[in-house]
This record gives sequence, C-alpha cells and structure tokens, in this order.
Amino acid sequence: MTAVAGFKDLFTRNLRQSGIFIAFVAIVGLFTILTDGTLLSPGNVTNIVLQYSYILILAIGMLIVIVGGHIDLSVGSVVALTGAVSAVLVIKNGQPWWVGVLAALAVGLVVGCWQGFWVAYVGIPAFIVTLAGMLLFRGMTYQVLDNVSLSPFPHEYQKIAGGFLNGFLGGQGIDVFTLVIAAVAVVGYVVSQFRQRAGRVKYQQVVESMPIFLTKLVLVAVVVMAFAYQLARSRGLPIVLIILGVLIMVYTVVTTKTVFGRHVYAIGGNLSAAQLSGVKVQKVNFWIFVNMGFLAAVAGAVYSSRSNSAQPGAGNMFELDAIAACFIGGASTTGGVGRVTGAVVGGLIMGVMSNGMQLMGVDQSVQQMVKGLVLLLAVAFDIYNKRRAGAAR
Amino acid sequence: MSASPRVPLLSLRQISKRFGAVEALVGVDVDVHAHEVVALVGDNGAGKSTLAKVISGVLVPDSGIIEIDGEEQTIPSPSAAHALGIATVFQDLALAGNLDVTSNIFLGRELTDGMLLDDGKMEQMARQILRDLTLRIPSVRTPLAELSAGQRQAVAIARTLIGSPRIVVLDEPTAALSVAQTAEVLTYIERLRDLGLGVILISHNMNDVRAVSDKIVVLRHGRNNGSFDAATASYESILAAITGATTLSESLMRHTAAMR
Repeated sequence: MTAVAGFKDLFTRNLRQSGIFIAFVAIVGLFTILTDGTLLSPGNVTNIVLQYSYILILAIGMLIVIVGGHIDLSVGSVVALTGAVSAVLVIKNGQPWWVGVLAALAVGLVVGCWQGFWVAYVGIPAFIVTLAGMLLFRGMTYQVLDNVSLSPFPHEYQKIAGGFLNGFLGGQGIDVFTLVIAAVAVVGYVVSQFRQRAGRVKYQQVVESMPIFLTKLVLVAVVVMAFAYQLARSRGLPIVLIILGVLIMVYTVVTTKTVFGRHVYAIGGNLSAAQLSGVKVQKVNFWIFVNMGFLAAVAGAVYSSRSNSAQPGAGNMFELDAIAACFIGGASTTGGVGRVTGAVVGGLIMGVMSNGMQLMGVDQSVQQMVKGLVLLLAVAFDIYNKRRAGAAR
Repeated sequence: MSASPRVPLLSLRQISKRFGAVEALVGVDVDVHAHEVVALVGDNGAGKSTLAKVISGVLVPDSGIIEIDGEEQTIPSPSAAHALGIATVFQDLALAGNLDVTSNIFLGRELTDGMLLDDGKMEQMARQILRDLTLRIPSVRTPLAELSAGQRQAVAIARTLIGSPRIVVLDEPTAALSVAQTAEVLTYIERLRDLGLGVILISHNMNDVRAVSDKIVVLRHGRNNGSFDAATASYESILAAITGATTLSESLMRHTAAMR
C-alpha cells in the first residue's frame, strides 16, 4: 500500500518550497544573461562562495531562531566581537591561529548563554534582548580593539576564508581533487536518498514515483558537478565551502531529525501547546541562542579571516542580511515554518543579486532598493500563499 | 460497587489554588478508580479546567495532596504527569498547527533511534492508533492546520494513547464536535474504561456526561458541591447542584462519603 505521489501533487504541495528553488534558478539565469555569462565564470562562482559564506553561516543560525518565534539583531555585533577577540590574541599576542578561532568560539558561546538566559529564563522578548546585545557587543568590540583596526592576520589564519584545497591529485588546469570531493558528495547524497526511500517504503510512507526520484537525483548531481567543475577550473575547493557544507548538513539533520529541532518547530508553531505537551520550552529557547552565538562566532572567524583584519565596525548590518535570507528562503514571520536549505538558498539569492548587480556596475543605492523590494515581495508571496491555503480549507 | 475499599488510582485531597484574589479551587476532593469514568461538571468558572491543569501538571496547587495508587505525589510539570501515567486532552487543543499529525501525537515524547528521531516508527504507530480508534484522518503527514476542528480533536485524543497511560483527563472533548463525532468520542471514552483506565471527563453537556460516566462530581465556585452516582441521580438534582440551588448539605456530605 505504498503510496506514490505524482509530480503535480508534489509541486503544488510544496509550492512555497519549490518556489524558492525556481526563483533561485530564474535569478541565476537572469544575471547570467545580463552579465554575458560572467556570473557563472569560474572565478566569479568562487568569489560568490567566499563573499557570502559568513552570511549563509549566520542565516543557518538565524533560521532556527526565527522558526522558534524569535529574532536576533545582535549577530553583526557578535561577528565583530568574536573577530576582535581572535585578532587581539593572534595579531597582538602572537598566538597560533587555532587559539584565536577557539577563543572566538568560546566568546560566541558565552554571548549565546547570556542572551539565552535573558530570553528563556527571564522572559524578555528576544527583540529587546538582542537589540540590547547589538549595542552591548558593539561597544565591547570597540573596547577590545581600543578603537583601532588590527591587521594583518598571519598566513594560516587567512586560509580559513581565503584558502583552497587543491593540487593533491594534479590535473591540467582543472583540479582533480575538487572534482573527486564533489563526486564523493554526490555519491553520498544518492546513497542516502536511496536508503531514505527504502526506509520510507518499509514503513509504508508516501514516496515520489521512481522517474521523478531519479530525475531529482540526476539534476542535483549535474548541478553539483557543474559547480565543482567551475571551482576546479578556478582555484580549487575553498576551505570555507567545506565548513559551510558541513554546517548545512549538520543543521539540516538537527532541524529535521532531532528532538531539539522538532521542539523548536513546536514552540514556534504553538507555544502553549508545546508547554502543555511537556516540551521544555525554556531549555530549548536557551539552546537556540547558544547555538546562534556559536554560529555567529564561526561567521566572525570567517569574516575576520576574509577581511584579513578586525575592525570596530565589522559585521554592521549582517543581522539584517541573515534575517532577509531566512524570510526570502520561506521562513514564516510568525515562526514555526522554514528550512535550513531554504535559508541558504535565500542567502544565495541575495548574494547572486548583489554580485550580479556589482558585475553590471549598478549603483550601490539601486542595489539596496532592489534587495529591499525582493525581501518585501518574498514575504508578500508567503502571506498570499497562506491566505490561499486558508481559503482552500 | 463504588463503596469498595480498593485504593483509588488517583485521589485529590483538599486541593486549593488561587490566582491573586481569585480562589479558583478551595479544598476540592476527587477520587478516580480504575475502570471508572468520573465526570467533573459545573458552571463556567467553577474551576473544572483549573483542576484538570492541576492533575496534568500544568498548575501546581497551593495546598492539598495528590495521591496516585495511594502514594503521595507531586506533579510539577506536564512531563512529570506523563511519567506518572496521566494523559490530558486540553480544552484549548494543545496542538501545533505547523506540525503534521504524527509529530503532534508524539510531541514531547518523541521516539528516538540513537540521537535521531525515529520518524518511520512514529508514523507507523500513529497510523495504528488512528486505526484502532477508527479516526478518519486524511494522512498522518498532513499539517494540523489543514484539518477540521473535529479531526484535530481526534488527533488530540489519539495523543492520550501514547505511552499507555492509566489516567486520562479530557477537558471538554466534545465542545467543538458534530453529533456524529461526539458519539465517536463517547465510544472512545467507554473503550478507555474497558481498558481499565481511570477517566476524568470535564463537560458542560449533561447528555454526554450521563451517557458515559459512572460518577458525577459537581464543582461550584471552586468547591465540591455534591457527588452523584450517574446511574441513579436525577437530572434535576445534578442541575440544582451546578446552579447552586442546593449546596453541599449534610445529606450530600453523607452521600459523598458513601461514594468513596
């Protein structure tokens, strides 16, 4: 009695989710044409990954915060603070790069505990707590840096965001190592998808029909390999892409396959229901913010490495980019809805748009206006969909 | 039968709870035995839902004793109540509209396989439970927001069967239901009794109450105002206790004592 869902069924049911991928493909296509293909050139693909990695890292944490029904306005300041602490240790005190990174992560966790405490146990709305945090941690950054920028980082530290893994297996102008890693990732994805499908069939759950399933796998494989090929033709596999890939995988599992993730969705969906059902709401809220602090610290390390400096004003407005990425990626403003992959694609849409407009030489002011309108339209689309779903019931 | 000396499954003694100046419950006594449906009735604001929340660990009483199998217990949280074998269906449906049927049934007590959720097993069990109760739900993967009020109530009731509870508290389970759905819920309550559970049914609807309950406990202004044997008590006498036409007189006191 295994039910098989048809393509149309899948498409209409997940219009919100498939919509974001279609929008992404459309935007990539549009800017590829507008920039005469420069957008997808090897160098630029690499550049997009490097340039928006820290926003994507923040968006992953922000998605969990937003699904839980909160908001975090402090992440930009936390990025600056963690980068500053790392810089003081590495640049001023000559510590090795990993001491700086570990210190940044520790600071991020402490910041997360601090905000989590006020939100979860004192019950102050996250908007207020993190607004206070935005000022507090920005001020601390100035203190830590003594109002001056620190640079440059030693070579090893710069590799976090600027390093590449390549040349291990040689290749003529095309890095074989990058392609091998991508192939391994694709094979891993295909195997896990087949195992998942077998499991679902065993439990008599609904699965897609075989042709659709295979088409999906082939499409993913082609896109990943094409992407890897472009990277391989440029400088190889960026280290930051590996960090990002691991984070995306880990947090997809955390949000969809763990009790913690399930409880975050329950809290965002219906707080009192979660409480009455025995969900430990305070504990979950606390860890949501600890996790956000941790990811903000990762982004802080990556950003300081990429900019090769720690500046008092670093990370300004990052929180808004991360929040926008989540909403463009299908997260609901009322909480309870959203996916990690959606937020990442939402972030990439912002990244591709900025990058594309930069390549076209569009004025900074116009770029801002376009991004603002895209955010507005994305949320309007979300609300329109919800109304339609409500009316259909 | 009700005068037998067996130990009640759940025994509430002199439970009091106040919210600021409001006395929600004052010295309330209730006993529930296995194989018994106890109906809690009373006017709006009589304290029925407050009592349900005390039993299910949502509220902690200011004073009073809760005994389960004759042993004194405290129920500081919903998960503690669940650990003691108490399952509750709340009036304001404790369901998350964004989660699917399976996730709602298992919310707060998810099955895990190592570190990860065992979705397949949960889905299978959810389907089994819905089939056992002959509840009609389109699919266990449907988000709750897409179900009708009756279907949501069905899911809320299905929730109680997880983790084999011994005491089930149903707070106005039929309030939002059609006649046919109400009949189904009442059948389900009888099935719970046949399984040997103690059931506390909170309801406004005297027809429902008299159809399934063994004992009827009346609350008025947060106090006990009579306890009746459902088989023999007249409709008028229960109504009189609810509206306050009769108070907890000497004769009723004796009646209550005899019921224990």
